[in-house]
Amino acid sequence: MNVTLSDAITLSVQLFALFNVAALAAVSLVWLERRFLGRLQGRPGPNRVGPLGLLQPIADAIKLMSKEDVAPGSSQRLLFYASPILVFVPAFVVWLTFPLARDVVVRNMDMGLFFFVAISVLSIVGLVLAGWSSNSKYAILGGFRAAAQLVSYEIPIITMILIIGMLSDSLDFVKVVDAQATIPFIAVVPLAFVIFLIAGLAEVGRTPFDIYFAESEVVGGPFVEYSGAHWAIFFLAEYVNTFVIGILGALLFLGGWRWPFGADLPQVASVALLMGKAYFIVLIIFWIRGTYPRMRIDQLMAMAWKWLIPLSFVLFLAAAFQLKFEWPWWVLTILSLIILVVPVIVQSRKQRNPALELAARYAANAIVVQAKPRPAPAVEDAPVVTPAAEGTSV
Amino acid sequence: MTEQDPKAAAEAPKEAAAPAEKPARHGPPIVIAEEVLNERGEQTAAQLASTLGTLVLDSAGREDNPWVRVDAKELHAAAKKCRDGEMGMDMLNLMLAVDWVDRIQMIYVLYSTTNNRKVILKADLPAESPAIDSLTDLWEAATWYERETHDLFGVDFPGNSDMSPLLLYEGFEGHPGLKSYPLNDYEEW
Amino acid sequence: MTTEPQFETVDMMLNMGPQHPATHGVFRMVLKVDGEKVIDVIPHIGYLHRGTERLAEVETYGQVITLFDRVDYIANLNNELAFVRAGEQIMEVEAPERAQYIRVILAELNRVASHLLFIGTYAIDLGAMTPVMYGFRERERIQNLFEHVTGARMMHNYMRIGGVKADVPDDFVPWVRQLIGEVRKGVEECDKLLSTNEVFLGRTRGVGVIDGPTAISCGLSGPSLRGSGVPYDVRKDDPYEIYPYLNYKVPVGENGDCWDRYYLRMLECYESLSMIEQCLDQFPEGPIMAAGRRIARPPAGEVFSHSENPRGDLGVYLVSDGTDKPYRVKIRPPSFCNLVGLATMTRGSYIADAVAILGSLDIVLGEVDR
Repeated sequence: MNVTLSDAITLSVQLFALFNVAALAAVSLVWLERRFLGRLQGRPGPNRVGPLGLLQPIADAIKLMSKEDVAPGSSQRLLFYASPILVFVPAFVVWLTFPLARDVVVRNMDMGLFFFVAISVLSIVGLVLAGWSSNSKYAILGGFRAAAQLVSYEIPIITMILIIGMLSDSLDFVKVVDAQATIPFIAVVPLAFVIFLIAGLAEVGRTPFDIYFAESEVVGGPFVEYSGAHWAIFFLAEYVNTFVIGILGALLFLGGWRWPFGADLPQVASVALLMGKAYFIVLIIFWIRGTYPRMRIDQLMAMAWKWLIPLSFVLFLAAAFQLKFEWPWWVLTILSLIILVVPVIVQSRKQRNPALELAARYAANAIVVQAKPRPAPAVEDAPVVTPAAEGTSV
Repeated sequence: MTEQDPKAAAEAPKEAAAPAEKPARHGPPIVIAEEVLNERGEQTAAQLASTLGTLVLDSAGREDNPWVRVDAKELHAAAKKCRDGEMGMDMLNLMLAVDWVDRIQMIYVLYSTTNNRKVILKADLPAESPAIDSLTDLWEAATWYERETHDLFGVDFPGNSDMSPLLLYEGFEGHPGLKSYPLNDYEEW
Repeated sequence: MTTEPQFETVDMMLNMGPQHPATHGVFRMVLKVDGEKVIDVIPHIGYLHRGTERLAEVETYGQVITLFDRVDYIANLNNELAFVRAGEQIMEVEAPERAQYIRVILAELNRVASHLLFIGTYAIDLGAMTPVMYGFRERERIQNLFEHVTGARMMHNYMRIGGVKADVPDDFVPWVRQLIGEVRKGVEECDKLLSTNEVFLGRTRGVGVIDGPTAISCGLSGPSLRGSGVPYDVRKDDPYEIYPYLNYKVPVGENGDCWDRYYLRMLECYESLSMIEQCLDQFPEGPIMAAGRRIARPPAGEVFSHSENPRGDLGVYLVSDGTDKPYRVKIRPPSFCNLVGLATMTRGSYIADAVAILGSLDIVLGEVDR
């Protein structure tokens, strides 16, 4: 194929713009997370650096870049310095296929969804290498945990993407959004959205699934030996991934730039609508972070293999049957709602939460100590020692 | 007392005659407390006397807590009788050593969760190379108490399998809990 | 005879060093791990050893009170109370009623503050970052009150042998009543957020189980012992000050796991708040210091007194030789004794559980090392 100079220039400009958009989005997430979590916790969040603390991410970046670059003596230097790049690059490369509006896309591929899945898996390799090349016990432990967790949670995500692909009859992002012209897929398969969100949280490594780099346990996991700019790259990659989950959720489930206003919006408004939906999902992710503790690695893996993967296969089969037998769209909705809502009702009815029972029992079985009657106050004829005379310190 | 130097020459012969342990004290006379047990303490003391029998060398106590003094070699047996007998002392609440300069006194406070009674066992050890049988086989709490006492007072506990320093760092010389350890004027590095 | 090839395996020693975000102070835990399971735990303490007991032998009784403030630096007033009561026993004086009520109110408030700190730090060890903010907001209110009454937010040096240092300000009772309402709401917020949270339950239920007899033999006390079903509470079993005149409940757990220990402390917060209300209702007028000498020069003798700290049973064995300085002060720190049970609780659990178990014991290194 002939690549002309103007093609190359156009492509470069587009890539540059895309890189900026992605980086700006990630950086804005840093600010948003800290303000939002601050509000949840009853405190203002960053408000010193710039108006409303908007320059806080810049301050963070400057701080991280100016730190000393330390590597452990026994680490494998080449791999040590290459691992952040291995984690960071796939996070940005997947942006090539994301359409921010119908025509605002760098390369719209027929297999956009497949491209996303294929490239995003590469960052797992980077994490494992980061842990291994640091040559430190905590890092190795963290790297293994990361690998196990991320690989396990890839399966539900891929299955959900497949379901969306089946429902919209295409792997192309633009066609997926067009298929949601009237009904967003979240209404068709709410269960898929829930599984996508949970698996997405685990993929990105956000609470409650952030044990592999949990501060209070393995103090950073695979990232423990990285400092300054290298750690900043990991940090940035995590935020970019979070935003990717947000955009994917908006595109695949919430109707992208079309629903509910239709295809006739000006481009700016389309992009804004899509970004708004992405930020909405991201805020939900932050909200979950502020609320839940971390799950332990074996509980996390059990949840993936015992619950998410079977459920996602059931849903996949259901979607396949619906398409084969041409059932109306709401069959999947009803199935999803049954799977989502019925356990909640059962649990709350029967008070199956064991802690509620225990809590009530402990409160009820507490040993009661009765007060004895107080003796009558002493008659006031004893010499009263006033505080002024005797109250000074020894 | 630097202003008393002209007098010191006159006082010196008197001080030389006084016992070498304590210099002449200035101040109000020392009052010795009377140790009176209340009714509950009397009951516990009676139970203790019947449990330990001939092992008791002295006994007294204040309020609720009677104490008995036993011989250092009999302490393990006495503690075992307190734990296993009707007294049911299932918790070793506290173990400490007091450095009376000519001897080291080990004090054990035992508590019974079932009967809600406390007793105190005391044993005297000689000041040079003090050693007493370990109580780790009776109460697991004794492990750390004994390590700490070994660190701070130099008391040896044969029978405790792990005597590594607990509060002090490895290679610390001396036992800071003893009265003879200087509180200042020493060099560490 | 066939033999399988023997692989020589070495258990990995994982060091949760003195500098670690989750060890609550300078505490070093060496975990012998086999993969993800912990085989043994070797705790190393002594990083904060300041020689409190030896220092107490060269300071007067009034100065020793400041040392006791710093022993368990989260529950300062409770430590002062333990020592001051030992001093009063050996001097055979009794603090006047108003002083006792002030002491109990402040000690119970300090208990609530200490438990709030425990809840916050335990939650953040497990990854939930919000309860610590709520908990510290309430602690801030309590510390404001302490500053108003004693002059300092921590390290109050407020109690004296025979009473307290100075009378409470005039707006003490209405301030404390308002404070109790606000703190109760804060504790409820933390409770609703954390206690029945599924992920929290998964991390703490069934983790770090210790049964009653082992716990007693290890010398545990306080909520850590009550979690295993042993109803030992010094306020109930060996009552002191004005606790006999209060109605309260002592919650006791059943399973001896981390959740029990955590939830008992939550229930204790509520109980303490209701105890403070009762004290305010019964608050008498009167002197705040016993008549007598200002400089404590007790008779020679020995006394043992203990009180219920937020962490357990703090015992003080005081040996006096008749002078104005104690001859020997031995502190029985509850956290020190609770740590003996750490090895039993942690064997066989996961590495992540080691952090949860250590957090549930609620240790303060100032107390462990003295």
